[in-house]
Amino acid sequence: MNVQVEMPQETAVLELPPEIVKLQIKDLNFFYGQKQSLFDVSVSFAANAVTALIGPSGCGKSTLLRTLNRIYNLYPGQRATGQVLLDGEDMLGPRVNVAALRARIGMVFQKPTPFPMSIFDNVAYGVRLYEKLGKADLANRVEDSLRRAALWDEVKDKLKESGLSLSGGQQQRLCVARGIAVKPEVLLLDEPASALDPISTARLEETISELKRDYTIVIVTHNMGQAARLSDHTGFMYLGKLVEFGETEQLFTNPVTTRARDYITGRFG
Amino acid sequence: MTVTADTAPAAAAPAPPRSAFGAAFDRGFEILCFSAATFLLTALGGIVVSLVIGGWPAFQTFGLNFFVSAEWDPVQEIYGAAGAVTGTLVSATLALVLALPLSLGIAIFLVELCPPILRRPIGTAVELLAGIPSIVYGMWGLFVFAPWFAKHVQMPIMMSARPGTLWETITTGVPNGAGILSASIILAIMILPFIAATMRELLLTIPAQVRESAYGLGSTTFEVVRKVSLPYIRTGAIGAVMLGLGRALGETMAVTFIIGNAHGFPTSIFASGSTIASTIANEFAEATEELHAASLIALGLVLFVITFAVLALARLLIGRQQHT
Repeated sequence: MNVQVEMPQETAVLELPPEIVKLQIKDLNFFYGQKQSLFDVSVSFAANAVTALIGPSGCGKSTLLRTLNRIYNLYPGQRATGQVLLDGEDMLGPRVNVAALRARIGMVFQKPTPFPMSIFDNVAYGVRLYEKLGKADLANRVEDSLRRAALWDEVKDKLKESGLSLSGGQQQRLCVARGIAVKPEVLLLDEPASALDPISTARLEETISELKRDYTIVIVTHNMGQAARLSDHTGFMYLGKLVEFGETEQLFTNPVTTRARDYITGRFG
Repeated sequence: MTVTADTAPAAAAPAPPRSAFGAAFDRGFEILCFSAATFLLTALGGIVVSLVIGGWPAFQTFGLNFFVSAEWDPVQEIYGAAGAVTGTLVSATLALVLALPLSLGIAIFLVELCPPILRRPIGTAVELLAGIPSIVYGMWGLFVFAPWFAKHVQMPIMMSARPGTLWETITTGVPNGAGILSASIILAIMILPFIAATMRELLLTIPAQVRESAYGLGSTTFEVVRKVSLPYIRTGAIGAVMLGLGRALGETMAVTFIIGNAHGFPTSIFASGSTIASTIANEFAEATEELHAASLIALGLVLFVITFAVLALARLLIGRQQHT
């Protein structure tokens, strides 16, 4: 007897309708020197939604994030080919003003990175680079950003104190506030909660859910529960390739690729 | 069951000595280390005490005048330290002013901008600069740098100065290239590698993600350096500057070669002057009179105090950075 087993798909990437796409990646390859670490990644991120990137360590999800705002440009030998289209405009081209691009695509890192200045100045830092705001407007912007990052109540009486004096969780929310103060269009979060305790993590997740209304958010996370709770879409990466991308609920309950199923059910990773 | 002599004391002591010899050896080792440390303190104390005793006749004879008078006249046996102290402070400060922007530029280039292929050669060059002996700087300064400096810098400046202006006053001097500014320039080259190397180390301590965050907000390299990197290393950098200043204050041979060795207050940047170290180096062999020798030793004590104060300040500032 010969039973025909249905072969699971190798890759499955959902195409989003073009009208909701904010950031589109086409055939992206990335190289650390000779070593290639992203292979033909094509995917779209929807506006006003949270997209989570999951996958085992070294799968390229952080690399993908670092390509989007060209932070890799700081390091000679790292290069990317392909296209990253922000509202249809290619961001990887040689003529792009990288500093201006980074102001449109903000990033928050794994570990809190407060600057050696006061809490107020930390949040105002990026704003001062690009806008000439009056004193009151700047103060409003700082307050608004700190409120959105759910930090205002904790720091409103000590805005002049050093950003380094805050706790780890507060520092991370300060970095979120600093990132959104410049009103970027896209916010990239690279495992923003990995160095935080559960309570700070919960607060940060609330913040992210709130921010979704105004921003396009891409978050890299090791925490599958976090990806499931926060995101609208999820991409699963493995060995530098995007294996599966789709609606978060669908991907977590009924993944169509073997790799994604094995990872999500905990068989590897 | 047999209880051996070895296992019996094991319960009492955390690290039981394996033998009587081992215990004695360990005790000896402790005493040796302790002596090494106390030797240092003894030597330091001894130097201070002998400087005070040796210089005492000078302090006794001239009192406060020793510090405020710039008259240094071995023939009439009148000694005042103010000229040498001023020369020391002015030349060291000028050297620092010249060396600081250069070292910062080198350090920032090496850390933020340098293509990897150039990083090693430039880093090695900076280290080699630190390895050149002081006396070589002195000779080069006197035989090569001073004539060039006189012809191409000093003369044009002196010629262009309008008579009667302050600029003319502070640029007069014998056009031989030896003087306060020449000494400062040589000193600057000498302390440059130390400050640059320390600044580089400090800049490397900034976490990559902090720099990336700053770039990630759309900063240019200059903005990252000015607003994030330099404030990040601020206190440590002040410490590095102070260490450089400490070196410049005490530097002897190179300065003696090129500062011109004239006593009294230096009145212009091209005028010959003297520093504490150069005065001592020049005169100690000829100081046969007791008061002359005592005055030189007293000068040494003053230099010791100035240098100690600068280093202590540096330590204080570096220590403070670790708490923020």
